[in-house]
This record gives sequence, C-alpha cells and structure tokens, in this order.
Amino acid sequence: MKFMRLSKIAKSLDYVLLGVVVLILVMGFFVLQSATVNASAKYNVNFVLRQAVWAGIGLGAFCCVLLVDYSKVSKYGVPIYALNILLLVATLIYGVETKGSQAWIPIGSFRFQPAEVVKVLLILGLGQFLVPRVGKLNTFKDLIPVFIYVAIPLGLILLQPDLGTGLVYVAIMFGMLLAAGASPLLLSLLIGGGIGSVSVAVFGHYAWGWWLPLKNYQLNRLIAFIDPMLDPLEAGWNVIQSQIAVGSGGLWGKGWGMGSQNINNFLPEQWTDFIFCVLAEEWGFIGAVLLLGLFFILIYRGIRIARKAKDTYGALIAVGVISMIVFHVMQNIGMTIGLMPITGIPLPLVSYGGSSLLANMIALGLLMNVYVYHDERLF
Amino acid sequence: MEMRKRIGIVFFGVAVALVALAIRLVWVQFVMGEELRQKAYATRFRNIEVKAKRGIIYDAKGRPLAISVSTDSFYAIPAEVKRSKREKEIAEQVSKVLGLDQEKILELITKRQAFVWIQRHTPEEKAKALKSLTLPATKEFRETKGLPGIKYVEEPERFYPKGKLLANVLGFAGIDNQGLEGIEKTYDKVLSGISGTIMVEFDNKGQEIPDALQKYIPPQDGNSIYLTIDETIQYIVERELDEIMKLRNPKKAGAIVMDPQTGRILAMAMRNTFDPNDYSNYEQSNRRNSLISDAYEPGSTFKTVTMSGALDEGIVKLTDRFYCGGFIQVGNRKVRCWKSSHGSQSFIEGVQNSCNPVFITVGLREGVDVFYRYLEGFGFGKKTGIELPGEFTGILVSKKLAKEADIYLATMAMGQANAVTPLQLVTACAAMANEGKLMKPQIVQEIRDREGNLVKTIEPEVVRQVIAPETARQVMSILESVVSEGTGKNAYLEGYRVGGKTGTAQKVIPGGRYSTSEYIGSFLGVAPVNDPRMVCLVVVDSPQGVYYGGQVAAPAFKNIMRDGLRYLQVQAQINPEKITGNKQKTRELPSLLGMDISKAIKVLSNYKLKAEVVGKGTTVKAQLPLAGTKVVEDSKVVLYSSIPAKGAEPETVVVPDFTGKNMAEVKELAGMLNLNFEIQGSGEVVRQEPEPGKQIPLGSKISIYMESRVEDALQPIGP
Repeated sequence: MKFMRLSKIAKSLDYVLLGVVVLILVMGFFVLQSATVNASAKYNVNFVLRQAVWAGIGLGAFCCVLLVDYSKVSKYGVPIYALNILLLVATLIYGVETKGSQAWIPIGSFRFQPAEVVKVLLILGLGQFLVPRVGKLNTFKDLIPVFIYVAIPLGLILLQPDLGTGLVYVAIMFGMLLAAGASPLLLSLLIGGGIGSVSVAVFGHYAWGWWLPLKNYQLNRLIAFIDPMLDPLEAGWNVIQSQIAVGSGGLWGKGWGMGSQNINNFLPEQWTDFIFCVLAEEWGFIGAVLLLGLFFILIYRGIRIARKAKDTYGALIAVGVISMIVFHVMQNIGMTIGLMPITGIPLPLVSYGGSSLLANMIALGLLMNVYVYHDERLF
Repeated sequence: MEMRKRIGIVFFGVAVALVALAIRLVWVQFVMGEELRQKAYATRFRNIEVKAKRGIIYDAKGRPLAISVSTDSFYAIPAEVKRSKREKEIAEQVSKVLGLDQEKILELITKRQAFVWIQRHTPEEKAKALKSLTLPATKEFRETKGLPGIKYVEEPERFYPKGKLLANVLGFAGIDNQGLEGIEKTYDKVLSGISGTIMVEFDNKGQEIPDALQKYIPPQDGNSIYLTIDETIQYIVERELDEIMKLRNPKKAGAIVMDPQTGRILAMAMRNTFDPNDYSNYEQSNRRNSLISDAYEPGSTFKTVTMSGALDEGIVKLTDRFYCGGFIQVGNRKVRCWKSSHGSQSFIEGVQNSCNPVFITVGLREGVDVFYRYLEGFGFGKKTGIELPGEFTGILVSKKLAKEADIYLATMAMGQANAVTPLQLVTACAAMANEGKLMKPQIVQEIRDREGNLVKTIEPEVVRQVIAPETARQVMSILESVVSEGTGKNAYLEGYRVGGKTGTAQKVIPGGRYSTSEYIGSFLGVAPVNDPRMVCLVVVDSPQGVYYGGQVAAPAFKNIMRDGLRYLQVQAQINPEKITGNKQKTRELPSLLGMDISKAIKVLSNYKLKAEVVGKGTTVKAQLPLAGTKVVEDSKVVLYSSIPAKGAEPETVVVPDFTGKNMAEVKELAGMLNLNFEIQGSGEVVRQEPEPGKQIPLGSKISIYMESRVEDALQPIGP
C-alpha cells in the first residue's frame, strides 16, 4: 500500500523541474568550490561538502513534503501563522548577532536561520488566508487585511534587522495577491508608491535631515547604488567590485578558479550573497546565461504547475514559491550588476547556506507537491 | 478560468524581470566589459618599479667617475597603516628615526592613496634603524608589532666618487636616476637602462598573496660609458684652475685639453664648479659648462686663425715686412696697437709681438670672403657637435655687415668682434696642430655593457681639411717661436717644444660696449709642436689685478703641459741631458744665415736634420728653429730664402725697432738683418741705439738696453 503510493508519487513527478533543480545544485557546487578556495583554507572548512550535506538533507525534506497532499494543510492556517510569529520572536530572543543582524539561532554546532523557513510557512499561511478572498481584492480597502497579515512577521524580521528577507515577504505577498485577483494596476501603484516614498524619504533625509528607520549602512548602500564612486572604498566597494567581476568575465569567463576578483578576495562574501559574481567572472556570459536559463525553466515549470493546480490554494502556493524564487534571483543577481541596491539575500540553490538551501528545497517540494496531487484521481 | 489568466500575468511579470536581468548582464559583460576588465587588472596588480642600475661613467683608462650605489627608500601603504589603527604611534616612530616632522609623516601615511613615498635614498644609518623597526616579529603580530604598512625598497642612487672632479662635464642624475645635465643628460638613454617591474598581485586587503601571480620583468642595467677624459690630466687641469682661483680671484676660469690628432677631449674643467653628489645646494651658474655654452671675444689667441688663413692662401709670407707705428688707420678710425710702436717687423715677428697693425693688415689683405672661408672652415659660428648638452654656436659678425666697413674685418682679424666658445677655439687650434685637419671634438669613446662587452666605439671623425699640412706646420713653428721668443714665454717649458699664443681681451659688458675694467686673459697652445699631443686653452675671466693672458693663463698652461706630457710619457726633446736612456740624439742647431740654400741643406743633413725651404731666394735669410736650439735628429728646420724687405739696399739696412722684444727675438731679428748687437740688462728691450729707421751698413753694431716688464696687452679698439 505504502509502496504503491510512493510509486504513484514517483510516476507523477515533474522530472523537468526536478532535473533543473539538480542541475542548478550541481552547478552551484562547482561555483562554490571556486568561491571558497581561500575561505576553505582560512576557516579549515570544506564548504562544498557541507553544502552537499545540506543538499542531501534538503532533498530528503523535498521528498517528505511530497508525502502529504498540500490541500490537507489548509486547515492549519492559524497554527502555521502562529508558528511563524513564534519562530521570529524566538529569533529575536535567542538569536545571535552576526554582521549586524540577529538572525541566527544556534542549535548544537549548527546555526539555524528561522526567517528562511518562515518564508515557506508564510506562503502556506498566506495562501490559506487568501483563498476565501480570491476575486474580492479590487480596492485598497480589501487589501488592508492582507497587509496586516504580512506586516506582523515583516515587522519582526525588520527588528532583526533583515531588510532583504523582509522584502522577500513583500514580494511573495505581491505575487500571491496578483494571482488572487488583486488589480495589477493597483499593485503597480503600490509598488511604485513604495519606491517613490522611499526615494523622497532618503532625499528628505539628506536635504532636510528627516529621520529614517534605516541604519546608516543601509542608507549608504542605497546611496552607493545611485553612485558607487561617492565612496568607492566603503559603501560603494561591493557595487564596484561585483560589477568589475561580472564585467571582466566577458563571453567565456576567465576559467574555473581563475577569477582574480574572486581569488584575490575583492568580492565580499563571494560564497554567499555574491556568488553570482564568481560565476559570471569565471564562467562568463555563457555561464551566467546558463544559470538564468535554468532558473527560467524552473520558473516556467512552476507557472505551469500553478495553472494545473487542482484548486486555488495550490495555485496560490505555486505562485508564492515562484514569487519567492524570482525575487531572490532578481534581487541577488540584480545587485551584482547594478540593477538593484545591495541587500544581502542569497541566490537560491547556489549560495552557500544550510537554512536557505533547506528552505528552498522545502518550497520546491511544495511546488512539486502541488503538481503531484493536481490529479486527484491518482490518489 | 480567471485564475489561469492571472497566473499568466504573473508569468509575464517574471519573464520581464528575467529578461531585464539578461539585458543588463549583456550590458555589463560586453559594453562595459573591456573597461571593467582593465579595472579588474588594476585592482589586482600593484606595479612596483625596479629601477635599473645606471651605467658607470669611466675615464679613458677605465677609472670610475660616476657609479651607482643602492640605498633604501621608504614608502607606506596607507591602507595597511590605517588597518593597524596605530597611525599615530607609527608616525611617531618613523619621524623619530628619520628626523622628520611627525605631523607631516602622519598626514603622509594616512593619505587616501595606494602608495606614498616617505623618504627616498635614506642615509644608511637611519635606514638601518628604521628597517629594524619595520620588521614584525612574526606574521601573527603583523598588526600589533613592527610598523605595519611601512616598507622599503632598494633604489639605486648615483654617486660620484671623485666629488667635484669633472663635474661640469659629467653633469648629474636626479633622484629618479634621470640624467639632468652634462654627459648624464646626453647619454641618459644609454646610461639609464630599462626599468623593470614587479607586478605583484594584491588581495582586497592590500596584502601580497602568498602564491600570487607575480610578473617580474627584470630591469636592464644601463650601459657604461668610457669618456675620452683622462682622470689624471683632468686632475692636473683642475689643480691649476684652483691655483688660478686662489691667486687671481677671477669670476670664472676654465680649461680644455684636447688630443689634436683625434679631437678627443682629455680634460675639461670649469671654476666655479659644484659637487654632483650634492647638486641641489649649488647655484645653477656653478653647474654651467661655460666652455661650451658661453661665447667670448677671444682676443689675440684668435690671431692664430687669421694667420692660418693668410698663410694658407699665400697672402702673407713669414718674411713679409710690416711697420707698426703704434696704430693703424682703418677707414676713418685709428686702431691702436697694445704697444706704442713695434716699428718695422717681419710677419713672424708680428706674430711674436702679437702686433695688432700686422694682423689688421693681413686680415684686410685676406678680404672678407677669404677670412670667412677660414672662419667657417675652422668651425666658428657652428656647434662643434660635441656630445654635451647646451652647446652654443657663438656669434659671428654677419658677412654682410663685415663687407660694409673694413673696421669689422680689422677687429675680427685681431680676435675681437666675433664671439666664440672656448671649445671652438681649442678645436680650431687642434686642426692647426693636426696638419690642418679639423676633428670633431669627442668626449665619449666607448660604450660597453655591464659585462664589459663592447657595444659601440666612437671613432675620431675628421670634419674637413681646413689648411694645407705645410701651412699647419708653419703655424706650429710660428707658435713655437711665440713661446720661445715672443709674448708667450711664460709658457716656455724646459725640455719640450711648446707653441702657443696669449690673449687678453676686453670683456663685452651688457649693452655691447667693451669694459674698461674687466678682461679675459687666456692662453692657447700646443705641445710638442713637432708631434702635437695636447692642445690646451686656459681662459681666465675677470681676474683681479694682473689680467694679461701671458700672466694669468700661461703659467697654468705650462704646468698642465709639463705634467700632462710627462704623464703621457712624451719624452722631453730639447734638453737631452735631462733625459736618460733617450736613444734620439740631439744637436745644437748651427747658424745657417747667409749660406747658400744648397749648402745649408747639406749642413743640415750632416746633422741628420731635414730641411724645408720657404721662398725662392738662393741664400738663407732666416731659419726656424733658431741657431743654438737643441733639436732632435730627424726633425725639420725651415729655411727662409727671400728677405729682406723690398727697396732696401743689400749693403745697408734700416734699423728695426727692437723695443719690447726679448733676447731671443733680438737675436733673431738682428741675425736676419746681419746686424751685430750688444745687450745690457735683461727682459725686454726698452731702448736702443741707433734709433729705429736709420740706414746703417750691414754688420753694424747696435746697443740694446733691456728691462723686465709685463708682456702682452689688450688690444684696444678705435680711438
């Protein structure tokens, strides 16, 4: 009986999606190997091995997620939301501070980043929250409950502070709202208004000394985004060095392990947030486009799953996962090529980091789950 | 289904975002690519220049005159200094050791630059002390111990081991090892070599990466130069100039010694001078090589040029007679001689007397075209082409102007009006000493690489034949007589046949007029005249007190020749008793006056001497060298066959003016005119009996009264 179920699941998998995920993971290992040449020696840690272990755990989680039909979770909307809040509050209480933000909870010799898991839980919760509202989100007023729903975890994550992950929550929300039938025009106005008011606030801060709820380094990153040469050695450094890395890669790249920006540590955090630079520098345009292409296929398959979902909840989950991944890719790669301000969020499946990898694998598991159970007759 | 449509919109949005990423990627990697590649290169490598060692400058015998030594230069990498957070402490330590201002050091080592020099070419003691401080105990303590960010590099520095010797010719090299003046400048490319580079790959923190890519382009050390200068002769010359500076306190003094047969400069020195090891502490004027860069009106030394042209053209013969009444009328102007009157004299006497009217007459006889032909032939008005920076052409009176009035040619003939460089004058005189062949002055004779392999030899270069070899020999003989009997006797050197000419010129003062208080005394000469080895010019600018060339310059010339010839192992010729082991026999030359030419030649051949006959007469009317001179076998005696002056009766002779002549001149003149004489006193003739101009029979006796006096004088121009 159990075996039958498993074989049914295996038969109904989207192997293209799975294949793409594995390819991205493998590609990530190679890039990581090169990106951690110095760091491995310095910290005496085999980053690739650790990442592989995490990928194994992630694949396990991926499979586990497949075992239960997602639609059975819809009943647990409130506990999931509560768990979210609990995790984030716990992070604020028990978390240790690293690089200016209190985002990690140490468990034994490992460190766990709850905000990553919260992303996935948020998708599940928000989907459940949106299902009864689908098609009734035409006015700003209609959106307010949804904003409040997201604002609470968002506020907690900004307290860490982790602006990048906070923005991911916002992106997930907008993606799912769009799918749930909120007016695209209204959403565009909101996004535009948000960016516009941030710009005005920053301008006001410099022109008239307005108070801003931003830390100095965050503000500097914004300024550096606009003109990195204002402070090339401090705030502008990342912007300049990452662009140099990407730009100097050219068509074919400098070769694996030959990227001078990487090897000489001109890149900040080149095995986590700036790993794309290593890829673009050493593998060139070809490598970068290959990765983008893989992500495109992944996203395309995700969209396909969303459309095939048996119910609205499934579709919303799929869109949520896609929104999350797209925002990560867009933001992570965008900042290395001067398209986005610097915000520290990882490149899914490629950047080093157990929590992130695990969360992404669970999210992809959810996506696959929506696909596997899209045909109820099978089960 | 409505939902599917909306998901389509989501997908559209996602696709737009990904395409935007791809477009931006294309832009960054391809449009900005090249620029960013260069930036990647620049951030990664820091170029450290490895200076090549500057080539050594040697004298002709391989004695080093300029060498390169390595010293330490200290620099800072401000990023490393700042990272240690010990800026103030570091600045304090560095300033203490180097003795520099602490504030300035702090400012320097915290500058927003990748690299700053703190001090270059730090003295050894200080460098040692600072080096010991910079060394961190171990790598781990790099930040807390030692002087993080303070580094040093070995840089070659020029050192002139002989100090001021030859400074005006050598010039000097600056702090970056670049030749700034003199030989250092003209041969900068040869000497400086090619700097190498160490391109060191640096990481983000400005630290060298242990296994970093290093490109090392080794420097190519400069080639070495062998000058024509001989350090010993240079030393002799400088010693003599120092003596002049001490005795006469002139504004400037200078001397050049040239090997006339090759044009090679054996010595060249200026006073004042400077120490190239400490060049910045000397006035610009001290560093100037006036011998090539400044022109002066040479005065009587230039008469050698007038004379060469006239003899070469056959316009004048040694026996031609002239009369000096103390002045000469040129156009509407009266040009005075330096003496009240030289009376009647032969051309050779005129030269010995440095008589202005004689030279003016000869010059006017030559005419502007001929005069200029020789002027230009000897290289005046043009750079000699010596390989030293800042050579001046001199200034000649334009030919056009010279043709307008005789006075120009007249003054030029006696060495005023034209401004020439001392080097031009020496070069011209060297041509006279080199059988009329003008050589290009040469200062560098060889270039060799570090291993001593020959890279290039610079051969002597003949510019042109200016005068016939016979003329040149005649000029030599005449110049010899000027030293032995004429105004140049202070240059007389026992044992050697020295020829030369004094010069005392009024200095041209700003505004173009002649100074009445400042003179340039000089002496230009050759030795030995029969086989010239050295041509030397000594110039003394504005000496205090006595200013005649024969007084201020000739003694130095004589000493230079004496020590120089001895150093060159040129054997003394005239006084055989002073030479031991000399195989050549010397003879005292008999008087050949009045003999038939053919008999005289026979007599000379018995003495194993050669004869050269000048003129078409049948009897010997004059001879050079004079009777009684000790001559080496095989040397040449010139016999003059056509005198006396026209119109004189053979049985009688007009009494010449002996005034101002020395013993030898009296002897010669009297001998030529077949007069007997009786001398009282010594020095120069002040009085005589009978008076000049009287007709007396041949063989009559003349009483001569001599006194010591200062010889030679300036040549005042015009009324």
